[in-house]
Amino acid sequence: MLATLAQAVVNGLLIGGIYALVSIGVTLIFGVVKIVNFAQGEFVMIGMYISFFLATRYGIDPLLSLAVSMPVLFLIGVALQHFLIRRVLGLSDMPQIFLTFALSLLLMNLALLLFTANYRTVQTPYSDSALYLGPLYIPVAKLIAFVLAMALSAALWVFLHATDMGKAMRAAAQKPEVAMLMGINTNRVFCVAVGVSLALAGAAGSLLMPFYPASPMAGQVFVLMAFVAVVLGTLGNVKGALVASLMMGVAESLGIQFVGADSGLIVVFLMLLLTLAFRPSGLAGGAAR
Amino acid sequence: MKNGRGRTSQQRQRRREFLIKTAGGALVTTALAAFPLRLRAAEPVNIGALYPVTGSMAQIGQGCVNAAKLAVQMVNDAGGIKSLGGAKLNLIVSDVQSDTTVTRTETDRLINGYKLAAIHGCFASALTLIASEVAERAKVPLITGSSSDQLNKDRHYTFTPFARASQFAQAQLQMSKLVSDKPKVAVIFENTAFGTSTSNGLREKAPAEGVEIVMFEPYSAGFADAGPLINKVKASGADALFSVSYLNDLILIVRTIKQVGLKIALNGGSGGFVIPDFYKSVGTLAEGLQGVAHWNHDCSAEAEKVNAVYKKQYGEFLFEYAGGLVAQTFMLADALERAASTDPEKVRDALAALDVSSGYAAMGPGGRVKFGPDGKNIYAHPVGVQWQNGDLASVFPKDDARAPLVKT
Repeated sequence: MLATLAQAVVNGLLIGGIYALVSIGVTLIFGVVKIVNFAQGEFVMIGMYISFFLATRYGIDPLLSLAVSMPVLFLIGVALQHFLIRRVLGLSDMPQIFLTFALSLLLMNLALLLFTANYRTVQTPYSDSALYLGPLYIPVAKLIAFVLAMALSAALWVFLHATDMGKAMRAAAQKPEVAMLMGINTNRVFCVAVGVSLALAGAAGSLLMPFYPASPMAGQVFVLMAFVAVVLGTLGNVKGALVASLMMGVAESLGIQFVGADSGLIVVFLMLLLTLAFRPSGLAGGAAR
Repeated sequence: MKNGRGRTSQQRQRRREFLIKTAGGALVTTALAAFPLRLRAAEPVNIGALYPVTGSMAQIGQGCVNAAKLAVQMVNDAGGIKSLGGAKLNLIVSDVQSDTTVTRTETDRLINGYKLAAIHGCFASALTLIASEVAERAKVPLITGSSSDQLNKDRHYTFTPFARASQFAQAQLQMSKLVSDKPKVAVIFENTAFGTSTSNGLREKAPAEGVEIVMFEPYSAGFADAGPLINKVKASGADALFSVSYLNDLILIVRTIKQVGLKIALNGGSGGFVIPDFYKSVGTLAEGLQGVAHWNHDCSAEAEKVNAVYKKQYGEFLFEYAGGLVAQTFMLADALERAASTDPEKVRDALAALDVSSGYAAMGPGGRVKFGPDGKNIYAHPVGVQWQNGDLASVFPKDDARAPLVKT
């Protein structure tokens, strides 16, 4: 019983790491640029396909292809901000929502057209292996993904707090007008923020590839959890999103284990509702950091 | 004035026509008298083929069309329908686009636009049910490999030569006895109409087959991680696992079972599980997985022969539905031969009287085709299959087994 419980927690934490990469990206864009990116899941999907094709065409390990997927998605992010998001920033919410929502549909259908609906898998030497700790097993591919996800989150934290660009980003997030008066080029800051956010989505895609099949709809599975985590962890709060993602992974896993295999999401949404009822601004409180 | 001129030209036209016809007719008659029968090109027999070659089921639909063309070519190369003067089969393919509305209009269009002797289609039961309704009303015989039991209800022109959906569950349960004498089975299924109805069928039939179901669990389709679910299966102590799932979830389930190091026989059922694409997606992970099918390419010497030709042409083995379709084409040829007519009503009667136990028409599990009053082949049953070395091998029941079950 205890072993089953421990195993459920381990399973939840491991997948929570992936949720975290996606939700941190969403919360970063929201915190800095003040726009909800509904297409975040599709950028995860693009990251998956980049890793898939590098692995099948050139035999590059999906983990090494992080070095390709992250820069490529960073550049896509910069272009997205510069050519599309910038145009709708002064407008009301509706054009902003439609922009990223349309982008999501466009990318999904483009992927269907180019890559077909087939599920694509990559087989790595560590895809089907696991570490055994007494009665517990830890799948190697998921462990690597979790560790790298945490490392990337930590790197983002350092970037936001220790570099000039990071500080400028937080300043622009708090008061864009004042930041602009202080000589910060907000468009440049926004470009970097969207770029970093998409790079994280790309990283999630590459990290998923050794154990999760790529398909045009693959991003949708993760983006739903990411949005819940973003709200749960206070909109725009990076640390909050990280903690909330891990909590949700564990809640989902415990739900499946002890309530029913179709109840994982029920537990997650119950958690969200309770949080909204008692702490409407999310677990991290009012501050958007 | 205008009318008058029209009439004269019309009359002239008629006269010319008359002259041509009589002269031509005379020529033809003399020609025929000189070379009886041999040179008279028999009118081809139109067979309608309704398959989804675009849309979500396109890949399988295209495979069906390829197999249908191959089968027609085989019949024609062997001399066509002899009782109709060596008439060739002429396949009229229509794309039903994986869509029920299109299926209805296309079936209608084909029946009204061509003189069809018979129809076959549509792979997906949901589409076949529609096509069958239209065909019944138009009184044109339809032959299909679709497995829905509904196709055998109140129908007179619909023929189903292969195993029915209700038989699949039973075969799957019996297969679990290959793994253990007293099998403990875990059933996991996605909480959709498809998952629920299939798994309920399994649960209802389990006691009669002496199979104990130790876990019966719906899950939400499209999960991110199969870990918690497999954790549960492990705790249940099952030695066989029936997973009623679509490909995405199934891949995660198979992977997780390997990671956990769980010793369990996984049976994925039918449909998308027993086509070459499954192996392409899943790769070596598929090795040892079990399923059920209404047809498999190793079922007879004839089947192996067609499979070899198909494989050479299309690069992959002849899958369940496509292989059954080749047999269906030969059943139609047999019926046409005996009917000696392309009249759909007569073809229907000949199909109803069909009884073959050799040749291409009889290739399939059971090895014999004879339709009951409900259009069901009374000798049909499903075959249990297992992925072995990238190929699908028949392992169950004993009479159809071509390879022993590899225990995983």
